Amino acid sequence: MEIESTEIENMKSGTEKAITREIIIEEISRNYKLLHRYKLSQQQIHIGRDYHNDIILADPHVCPSHLSIELVDDQWKITDNQTMNGSFIENIKEKKHLANNHVVHDGDVITLGKSQLRILFTDHPVEPTVVFSPFEDVINLMRHPIALLLSIMLFTLITAGIFYLNTPKEINFSQLLVPTVSMVLGFAFWPAGVAFVSHLSRHDARIMAQLGVSFVFFNLMWLSDFLENILIFNSASGSIIPLFFMFISIALAFSLFWLNGYIGFHMTAKRRIIVAASMTALLFGGSYLVQYSNKPEFNPRPQYNATIMMPNFLMTSSSSVDEFIKGSEKLFEKTKKEALK
Amino acid sequence: MKAFFLLVFILLSSCISSNSYASEQAEQLFNQLKPSLYQIKLIDKASGEKSSIGSGFQISRDGIIATNYHVISSYALHPKKYRMEYLDNQGNKGGLSLQSVDVINDLALVKRDIDQEMAFFQLSKTTPQKGEELFSLGNPHDLGMIVVPGTYNGLKKESFNERIHFTGSINSGMSGGPVVNKQAQVVGINVATSGNSIGFLVPHDKLVSLYQDFLKAAPESIEEQMAQQLMSNQDKLMTAILNSSWQVRQLGEQGNIPIIDVPFIRCWGDSNADKADVLILTAVANCSLDENTYLSSHFFTGSIEIEFRTMQAKDIGANKFYRLYQQQISHAGAGNRADKENVTEYQCQHDLVMPDNQTINNKTIFCTRAYKKFPDLFDIIYLAASIDRKKQALVSHFTIAGVSKRNALAFTRQFMESVSWK
Repeated sequence: MEIESTEIENMKSGTEKAITREIIIEEISRNYKLLHRYKLSQQQIHIGRDYHNDIILADPHVCPSHLSIELVDDQWKITDNQTMNGSFIENIKEKKHLANNHVVHDGDVITLGKSQLRILFTDHPVEPTVVFSPFEDVINLMRHPIALLLSIMLFTLITAGIFYLNTPKEINFSQLLVPTVSMVLGFAFWPAGVAFVSHLSRHDARIMAQLGVSFVFFNLMWLSDFLENILIFNSASGSIIPLFFMFISIALAFSLFWLNGYIGFHMTAKRRIIVAASMTALLFGGSYLVQYSNKPEFNPRPQYNATIMMPNFLMTSSSSVDEFIKGSEKLFEKTKKEALK
Repeated sequence: MKAFFLLVFILLSSCISSNSYASEQAEQLFNQLKPSLYQIKLIDKASGEKSSIGSGFQISRDGIIATNYHVISSYALHPKKYRMEYLDNQGNKGGLSLQSVDVINDLALVKRDIDQEMAFFQLSKTTPQKGEELFSLGNPHDLGMIVVPGTYNGLKKESFNERIHFTGSINSGMSGGPVVNKQAQVVGINVATSGNSIGFLVPHDKLVSLYQDFLKAAPESIEEQMAQQLMSNQDKLMTAILNSSWQVRQLGEQGNIPIIDVPFIRCWGDSNADKADVLILTAVANCSLDENTYLSSHFFTGSIEIEFRTMQAKDIGANKFYRLYQQQISHAGAGNRADKENVTEYQCQHDLVMPDNQTINNKTIFCTRAYKKFPDLFDIIYLAASIDRKKQALVSHFTIAGVSKRNALAFTRQFMESVSWK
């Protein structure tokens, strides 16, 4: 049902071709979203608030018989019936002016009361067909009930596993259940929220697709976390691994936001990228700012990475004491320089 | 660590016991000595009010007064913010100037201007006998000068820098006051208490040598003097530790740890073997140097802490064991108090390290921070966590405050090579 109104506005050719008898009148909202569309083929069209009109508007600022559009000499002409609030014409070529006696061009928008009507002729150009992107297949796969169930189950298992591993006491099933379920519900909040917003903005909610995509990405984030830990465990300080995984998580967040936008909203590719990028920036920039503002002026505690994993994940050979002492020597130079500042 | 001595002016304490004979004698001594006793005050220049108080006593006819370093430490570090003032037994006030300090033994020499020669305390030439009665003088809590009788109980056992163990009540504000024998000769200086009539004194010979050094050549800069004292003290301490024997001892069922055989490092142990519901059986041994050097109320140095910990998983898998193990080693902190003004933030490095004997494989973390006012001194944090056994772990950890790079690295190397699996 939806149509990209602003696009069509811009694509209006401006050439005046032969006018056919059929005319399309679209009732649109203030931000050019389509509300109703009428295709009429009579000589005279009456528009107003009372019930003998061809197009009946519920707007209280519109008069009972507000205006009529009539086909005269192959041209559609507007007649305003001396209305209280008037009728106005708007198009890209001319300024907004009174609509009475105006000859209609393709794409003209008439404002009456607080309502807007757009008039199109049958030869109005339409946008090229949008091909299904390859994402569509992937999204369809992810939203498949079985796939969705699997990814939510995987997420639940990982969450429960992490809770279990981090609890320093003995823990039973029901003690695990509550935090796990609340965690899963908490994470489901995001796709549900996006679906709700797209529903509110007169798009398809597509909640299954949103859930499917989001949980696949949440699982990918766990995976990247796990890989990061293994690599950090196997490397010495000063490696680029944390930086690398920082980029990975930024990329994952961006992709998730991009897909959320792709599923939930119709917008141009450029705008989708901008929206996804700004949400990513907000997420990471925001958390960086929070961290930065909480940072004490002086930290008397050492900041070190204590990641350890069981020996099965050990893949590298260890350094010797000599090498470690040599590395430590550099720290003295660094802090001494700092102290002399 | 457990028997931590608080400085006199921090701690409050109780009970003065005496018999009538002693009090008579004490009164006599007190009357004889009081003209050379002072209350020392640090006045905050901006507010005009006193910020700390202590006691002092004159040791030369030209107005040199001995007190504790910690009484005047704020002035030594911020001479622009404070001024020093004395108050004698007749209520006269006057300014003081700082002449020399010994931060290691917590002593300071200040000087008042005098018009004519005055009576002063004689420093004893001998050390007292165990059980000998001594009299501590000072002004506790700004209540006025008092005399406290007590007993000499020899030098404190197991201390690196000697302190006299004095059985008698020393209170806040008496810091820097003299302790005299019956002949009215100074044998010690009040410095600290650990409550319940256990007091600690700086032996008089430390004051004698500080004063003699001062007479030979007065220090040009107090800060440089402090830096030199800290540097040579850590050298002395670390040399003693590195040259002592490091005995291998078993910890838990499988761990071998070094116990440094010097009297001033004392060890304590604990384990959770008695608790039935634990997931990890732990045994801990920690050893520490029971003294540290006071530089300011925000800055202490000279401490050493060593901790070993073995862990054994009980009824849990290796994965969970390592998770909980990681939580255990994530929060190592500094062993001494220090603030932004005095130290940099820590810089750390970590790596997997296996000593040449290949008896253990550790994730090893080393952190250091530098002192801002005393160049070439550093605080060290070291932590090594074994990662080569599935359900067993051995953690070795130490912190050292105020050491040179050379000593820190020598100690670290020796430490790394002496921890292993059995």
